[in-house]
Amino acid sequence: MATLLLEIGCEELPAGACREAEAQLPMLVERELGARPDRVFVGPRRIAALLEDVAERTPDEWIKGPPEHLAEKAAAGFAKKHRVEVEELERRDGFLGIERPGRPLAEVVAERLDAVVRGFSFAKSMRWDDHGIRFSRPVRWTLAKLDGETVVGESSFGHRFTEGAVAIPTAGEYAERLRAAGVEPDAAERRSRIVSGLDAIGGWGDPAGVLEEVVYLVESVNVLEGTFAERFLQLPERVVVTAMQSHQRYFPLGDNRFAFVSNGGDPDTVRTGNEAVLEGRLDDASFTFERDVTQGIDRLAERVGSITFFAGAGTFADKTERLRGLVGRLGGGEASLEAARLAKADQASELVREFPDLEGHIGAEYARLAGYPEAVCSAIGEQYLPDAAGGPLPQTEAGKVLAATDKLDTLDVSFSLGNRPTGSRDPYGLRRAAIGLCRLAVEGGLTIPRDLLADDVREFVEERLEGLVDVPVEYVRAARASTAPDLAGVAQLAETLYAERETPEFDGVYTAYDRANRLAGRAAEEAAAEVDRSLLREDAERALAEALTAVSIHGDVRKALASGATLAPFVERFFDEVLVMDEDETVRANRLRLLLDVRDTLGRLGDFSQIPR
Amino acid sequence: MIRALEGYWAAEGCVLMQPYHTELAAGTMNPATFLRCLGPRPWKTAYVEPVIRPLDGRYGENPYRFQHYFQYQVIMKPAPEDVLDRYFASLEGIGIDLQRHDVRLVEDDWEQPTLGAWGLGWEVWCDGMEITQWTYFQQLGGFDVELVPAEMTYGLERLAMFLQGKASAFDLEWAPGVTWGDVYKESERQWSAYNFEVAPVDVLSSRFAEHEDECRRLIERRLPLPAYDQALKCSHTFNLLEARGAISVTERAAYIGRVRALAREVAQLYLEQEGDGDAAA
Repeated sequence: MATLLLEIGCEELPAGACREAEAQLPMLVERELGARPDRVFVGPRRIAALLEDVAERTPDEWIKGPPEHLAEKAAAGFAKKHRVEVEELERRDGFLGIERPGRPLAEVVAERLDAVVRGFSFAKSMRWDDHGIRFSRPVRWTLAKLDGETVVGESSFGHRFTEGAVAIPTAGEYAERLRAAGVEPDAAERRSRIVSGLDAIGGWGDPAGVLEEVVYLVESVNVLEGTFAERFLQLPERVVVTAMQSHQRYFPLGDNRFAFVSNGGDPDTVRTGNEAVLEGRLDDASFTFERDVTQGIDRLAERVGSITFFAGAGTFADKTERLRGLVGRLGGGEASLEAARLAKADQASELVREFPDLEGHIGAEYARLAGYPEAVCSAIGEQYLPDAAGGPLPQTEAGKVLAATDKLDTLDVSFSLGNRPTGSRDPYGLRRAAIGLCRLAVEGGLTIPRDLLADDVREFVEERLEGLVDVPVEYVRAARASTAPDLAGVAQLAETLYAERETPEFDGVYTAYDRANRLAGRAAEEAAAEVDRSLLREDAERALAEALTAVSIHGDVRKALASGATLAPFVERFFDEVLVMDEDETVRANRLRLLLDVRDTLGRLGDFSQIPR
Repeated sequence: MIRALEGYWAAEGCVLMQPYHTELAAGTMNPATFLRCLGPRPWKTAYVEPVIRPLDGRYGENPYRFQHYFQYQVIMKPAPEDVLDRYFASLEGIGIDLQRHDVRLVEDDWEQPTLGAWGLGWEVWCDGMEITQWTYFQQLGGFDVELVPAEMTYGLERLAMFLQGKASAFDLEWAPGVTWGDVYKESERQWSAYNFEVAPVDVLSSRFAEHEDECRRLIERRLPLPAYDQALKCSHTFNLLEARGAISVTERAAYIGRVRALAREVAQLYLEQEGDGDAAA
């Protein structure tokens, strides 16, 4: 047994490509060499695998050919295809075939490594010469060591600027030789060194989650600390943090301090340079910020009429008008109405053009500077929440209302333009908007009337409730068919129906609904327009009609279930004593109508036929 | 610095070109890059390009944003295997000590929709500052490149600020006793006023259409080089219209589509003629 090292040396790979390579490498190595690697090393300039106990010969291989009885017809073709003479074919278990003896591993590694290189599939790949290989970035060297024997390439390479070629005496010494040459090849080790470096400084944050990228931006880990001029602290904190993180991949430390990871260089020189760069960016942001503030949020709000929301959906001024209309229909007060007027003003600001992720936050900040009440400002800042799966909801009432109007409008406009999400494509974020709307109702306690949504939008939004409410989907589907007036009502109904499913009341309603629906549901078109009391001949049907008038399906679900359940014995008696399908058409139509009335009255609690028994 | 770059890349066998004679938003648009990178013939060049980006003007008030600045553009087609090492050596040539500084290649995928062009590469950071846009072209004018070129676009003001330790481009020493600001600040103010306030929208709109027509006419006459100039003029006219705020989002996509269509037709004609040339040879 032997230890095998495979290394693919690249020009600097993007972090995303490194992660793709990390995920694909074990399978590719297994496919080509029959064993999974024991260690995988991935960094910006190399992808490597170490196999600690590999057989030094590949296994013998039996290539099965045609069955013996077809030898005359097929043997020649098979032999030719595999470049042997017919006489050389062997027989085994009634088949012709070829025994290919295994080969020394050293002989096959080159071709197998080449196959590994060609086997990667990156989201974005490129050509760089005429070898026909596509890779994330150019591959510049390959190396394979079988114990001490070099089977592909010559050497590895150390840190780009401080070391040149690095000899790897044996496969097992790969990592330690690279470490001596300024390279930490193990991504997990780099990550833990970055984290412990940051912990040693203390108080670090990473709201934008750049750590996972930084791990693949360096081969050598040097955690450094820097500061910037205090005058930039007058900028909104989010602007400062975004300037640090979005482009420079720095970690904020609070106040005017930041940490970053370099790949080498003289620490003081590198620190001074990075400080100057950050100050340049903050200077640029301050310049932009001051220009916006000089204009003020009210003037910015007047300019949104020249900015298109999206094609066919008018400008942000049109959107603002629609939001104000929706605020009223959601029962929003003065603060949300004012917030709606200013909500899109920051779309006209230079700072949002610079940092699109800060939309909303910038508007809130500018509203504060203009002296608007805090309820208005925080609502503006919360309008895009929740902005991630499981992300926080708006905390203020006005914020909830504004966040709901924004999503309602986006959904409404997109659907009316035919921009429905298809498959995984959802360019307008409509699924997220719909889920957000459901969460605002269910978790945020906001009353969102269902009749505010056009049919197709309501359908789309309420489908999201199925994943959100923690009961089997059939109960949500049942509740969607109820007369619950708002989204939260549908969710509550589904939960209550599920909680009550074992009670006699639920059973009574379910059975009455089910029997009435099974018989009359299919014959609905034959039913009369309404029940004619004079046509009710039997006691049982008169009793049912009478009982029905006493049923009240309103308000509290448990009371409604109890009331509905009173019908059960009457329905049972009706079916025992009355023949619905009477020969007299008018009598039949009248009885069908009575059953449909029973079903529809109980159906105010939902479509019980959705719930399996 | 420019002299050092010229000397270095001349020694690498690059044809030293001069800036092009019409407004370009990037050195890439110079025909010495865009057209020469198409087709099967090797090509190496280096040149300074003044780039004109009306939308980026800030009346000379912002030390980092200008409607006119300089790029140093290098093309090596095909890219040699050690092209990165050659590039890093050029940095040493202008005085950047690669061992003292933290020089890094950070993913940056380049795309120029008006030219139907894209490539993969990096922005080169020196102590966190972007000093070069580095790209392996993959498509130009919608056509796959035959020999993959490496494009290195140095931001000259950024590099000079870094080397001179200046926080504002206006303070750069452009010649002994003369700052960059002395030379260009007033011009930034005047051009920003023209680009944002004065440029005549109706004239520009009709001019765009005229250049477009002329480009098509020249393509019919099978003259790709003059036709390409007309496409460049369309591109610049579009940039001016955009700076004037005269283009809505939907119109914007339509304008870009029109310029891209021209770039594609020019590229196609250029490639056909390159192919003819090969056949004749």
